[in-house]
Amino acid sequence: MEFKNFSLFINQTKVNRFAEDLANGKITSTVCKHCGTQYYPPRADCSSCMQSEMEWKELPTQGNLLTFTRIHVPPEHFAVRQPLMPFSSVQFEPCPIGIIEVGKGLPIMGWIPKMDIKKIKVGMRMKASPFVLPDGKITIVLEPV
Amino acid sequence: MKKVAIVGIGHGKFGIRSDASLRELIFEAVKACLDDAGLSLKEVDSMVTGVAGDEFSFGIQPSAQVHDYIGFYPKPNFRVEGACATGSVALRTGWMNIVSGLADIVLVVGVEKMTEVPTSVATEIMGRAGDAIWEYPFGTTFPGYYAMIANAHMAAYGTTEEQLAMVAVKNHYYGSLNPYAQMQKEVTLEKAMTSFTVAYPLKLFDCSLITDGAAAVLLASEEKAKALSKKPVWLAGLGCATDAMRLGDRKSMTSLEASREAAKAAYKMAGIGPSDINVATVHDCFTIAEIVAYEDLGFCEKGEGGRLIEAKETYVGGRIPVNVDGGLKSKGHPLGATGVSMAVEISKQLRGEAGPRQVKNAQIGLTHNVGGSGQISLVHIFRRE
Repeated sequence: MEFKNFSLFINQTKVNRFAEDLANGKITSTVCKHCGTQYYPPRADCSSCMQSEMEWKELPTQGNLLTFTRIHVPPEHFAVRQPLMPFSSVQFEPCPIGIIEVGKGLPIMGWIPKMDIKKIKVGMRMKASPFVLPDGKITIVLEPV
Repeated sequence: MKKVAIVGIGHGKFGIRSDASLRELIFEAVKACLDDAGLSLKEVDSMVTGVAGDEFSFGIQPSAQVHDYIGFYPKPNFRVEGACATGSVALRTGWMNIVSGLADIVLVVGVEKMTEVPTSVATEIMGRAGDAIWEYPFGTTFPGYYAMIANAHMAAYGTTEEQLAMVAVKNHYYGSLNPYAQMQKEVTLEKAMTSFTVAYPLKLFDCSLITDGAAAVLLASEEKAKALSKKPVWLAGLGCATDAMRLGDRKSMTSLEASREAAKAAYKMAGIGPSDINVATVHDCFTIAEIVAYEDLGFCEKGEGGRLIEAKETYVGGRIPVNVDGGLKSKGHPLGATGVSMAVEISKQLRGEAGPRQVKNAQIGLTHNVGGSGQISLVHIFRRE
């Protein structure tokens, strides 16, 4: 599993195991073997003690929603193209995104595919899960619990 | 510490400048700045160029384009960058040049030529100013980041979408009075409230513009400033601070910690507090950003920003007039030029030359310029005396 299947652009990193774990159904973090600081997103190097010996650890998946939005004007990579068929149009309904905190200093960003934007509230309890998209890319989704 | 003053200001027209290239935009601002100071380039020792993005303008050496076109070589010039705070990074670097003794007179220019690429491409370039590895895969954009700050602020303090729109109404009103502004027209609250959603809850009129433009200031040491200028504007306080890349890693999602730290440093250096400020330009890349800035700069208590605009306290005549040049919202936001443009506006105010937008007898002014979604922030304080 290439890291780019998660990150879209960047493929060369010391933490590319993250994408493999995600494909295997786990959201993983790194923990510094020296000082115990835990990082999500995972880091290969510890900015607390400047050491680089880390071990991988699965994250808890439930937490409270810190914030959210729904982006209606997407960047180029996600932009909707005009359909090629004459007289036809596509209806674009963007998917909300949000950030949940599954532990102190451990925020997980994800798509919120199953909720109406008006029903999403800061503070609500949600669960993060890996999700394989139809094109083989891998991502994270959030849903209420 | 050595004292440094602004002795010349120049501002080009902001807007969709399909008539001009990056180097030609700079020329307009530099010419106006030198004319204002009554100096020629021969008398300038050194130069700093602020440009935020290479991808907008197809060149990895924007500073070379500039010193070539205005004929500044072989004297020192280099480019600095701090995303949307680039212009203030350039000003701070110019100040360092003089305080260090390397130069007595320094030209500081900021420029961005953003409309050479389509809007969707510009949106993508700016969206990557967040975390390109860990946030962009979720389709994040600049409006998206500030929309998340807005939703957190609304949930914590009861800030409303109407209050956000009121910032747009104010800034468009003042933009309509600024001949250099991109959108010189007023908007009504109803129009702002019914415009289409860009990133929930932010609507079109909550967002700043994609802009071409340039601005320049000439800095001088105390001795030179007193000899050259009848109305120098003194740089009395400088603050610069940084914060985590990702929103989720921040101490707070309802304030920008970098701005709070930068403000603290600038106030301390100037020996004043928020209540001493007569006029301010703040980084209103989105309406929520102006409300958060009121709080981060100490113009009101935490959580009270929405009520400050609702009470019209940030209009001329109010407790603390903010962005009476139209702000990024209506004047436009050419990334690298914005911080320099803010310094130009505050200089005009302190020189009493702001025309219909003048804050009566303004003595002390402040600029607040944020990079990205708060990864870097700079606060500068200016005094007339």
